[in-house]
Amino acid sequence: HVRTMAVPESTISDQVAKSIKDAQEACADDPVSGECAAAWDEVEEVSAAASDERLKKKQTDSDPLETYCKDNPETDECRTYED
Amino acid sequence: MAICTVYTSHSLNSTCSIPTPTKTYLGFNQKQVIFFTTSKKSNRRSSIYSSEISCSAEAKTVVIGLAADSGCGKSTFMRRLTSVFGGAAEPPKGGNPDSNTLISDTTTVICLDDYHSLDRTGRKVNGVTALDPKANDFDLMYEQVKAIKDGTPVQKPIYNHVSGLLDPPELINPPKILVIEGLHPMYDARVRDLLDFSIYLDISNEVKFAWKIQRDMAERGHSLESIKASIEARKPDFDAYIDPQKQYADAVIEVLPTQLIPDDNEGKVLRVRLIMKEGVKYFNPVYLFDEGSTIDWIPCGRKLTCSYPGIKFSYGPDSYYGNEVSVLEMDGQFDRLDELIYVESHLSNISTKFYGEVTQQMLKHADFPGSSNGTGLFQTIVGLKIRDLFEQLIADKAAAPLQATKA
Repeated sequence: HVRTMAVPESTISDQVAKSIKDAQEACADDPVSGECAAAWDEVEEVSAAASDERLKKKQTDSDPLETYCKDNPETDECRTYED
Repeated sequence: MAICTVYTSHSLNSTCSIPTPTKTYLGFNQKQVIFFTTSKKSNRRSSIYSSEISCSAEAKTVVIGLAADSGCGKSTFMRRLTSVFGGAAEPPKGGNPDSNTLISDTTTVICLDDYHSLDRTGRKVNGVTALDPKANDFDLMYEQVKAIKDGTPVQKPIYNHVSGLLDPPELINPPKILVIEGLHPMYDARVRDLLDFSIYLDISNEVKFAWKIQRDMAERGHSLESIKASIEARKPDFDAYIDPQKQYADAVIEVLPTQLIPDDNEGKVLRVRLIMKEGVKYFNPVYLFDEGSTIDWIPCGRKLTCSYPGIKFSYGPDSYYGNEVSVLEMDGQFDRLDELIYVESHLSNISTKFYGEVTQQMLKHADFPGSSNGTGLFQTIVGLKIRDLFEQLIADKAAAPLQATKA
C-alpha cells in the first residue's frame, strides 16, 4: 500500500509568496513586458497548485474514521458486508 | 496448435481480443495483439507460442475536448462528467504522485499542460506565459491524441505543477472516452478535427475575480492587488489565444454575474448560460417547454420554494460567432436541491435514462462547488449529452452488436 506523500504545505505556500514577490519586482521596470506576464502566470500556476493541495488535504482530513478505515479495514468499527 | 477464438465485444477499441487459458494482454487496444500461452493444460502446447493477429479497430476511442482557464472549475466539471459514466476517477495507480491524469472505468482525462514544451523556468527565461502557443508542443499533442483515438497506447509526458518541471512520461492506454482538458484543446486545427465533441467554459472577468479571491485570499502573500495583477497580466494572452477557441465549441457554458441582485460582486449568485450549437451530429440541444420559441420562466411560486433573489430561466434561439445556437439560461440558485426535479420535469432533450436522473446526479454531488446554481445543473446536463453522443457514436460505428454500457 503506497501513500502519496503530500508536499509540506509550507513549501508550496512559501513558493506562492516568493513568486508574488518576484512578479512584483519583474513588473516594476516594465509592466507590459513578456517577463512581467510570465511572472504573474507563474503566480497563477503556483496558487492553483497550492489550492489543489489544500483541497486534497481537506478531503483526506475530513472524516477521521474513513481515513482510519482505509488502513484498517478489518477492525470492528470498519468492517462492512455487502449482505 | 493453439486454438483461438476472436471475440468482438470485449473491448470497444479493438474488435478483437484473444481469450486463452493463461491470458496475457499487451494492452487491450493495440491494433496488433501479441499473445503468449504457456503450457498448463496440455502438452500439446509444450513451448511458448506466439502469434500476431491484426484486427480492424472499427470502434475507436471517443475524444472530448474541454477548454477553460486555470482555476475555473475544470476539475469539478470532470468529476461530474465521469460520475455520469459511473465509477470514481482516480490518478493512475503507482505512478508519479503528481500525475495530472484521471482514470475511471470508461474515461481517461488528460491535462494538456502535460504538452508544455517549456517548463516554468523556460517560460520565464523566454518571457512567455503558459497560455502562449510557443510554450506548447502541438505536434506531440496531435500525434498522441491521434494515436489514442486509433487505439495505440502512448507515453505521455507529465508536467509537474508543484515543481514546474517536465517529469518522465507515463503510459496512457486508449480508453472508451478520452477527455483532453486544458487551455488549448481547440487551438490547433489538427487536434480540433480529432474531437468528437468540444466544450468551452467561459467565465466572465467579474466572476473569475470573485472565484480567485475565494481561492487565494487565505494564501500567504496574496492580496486583492496581487490577484487583480495576475488576472490583468495574463489577459492579453488569454484574449489572443484562449478565448477565440469558443467559436469552435459545440457547447459553451458562460458564467456571468447575476442580474437578479443589482451590483452583485460576490460571485455566489450566478447567471449561467448553456449555449448549444445546432446541427451537430449526435447532439440535440436541450429546450424548455417548446423547441425554438423564446421563453422566460420564473419557477418560483407554489411548487418551488425560492428565497431571495429567486430563480429565473430563459430559453431561445440565438446566433453565436455566426453559428445558429440554442441558449438555455439560469439565473439564481436553488435552496433545496430536491426541488430541482420540478425544473428537470420541464426540460426536454436532456438525454436522461430515467425520470429524475439529473436531480439524482446533482444530489449525489451536493458538496461540489456549483451544486446550487446553473453551473452544476448545466455541467450535469452536458455530461448526459456526452453519454448520449458516445452511445450513438458507438452504435453507429460498430457493425457487430456491441454492448456500449453496462446496464
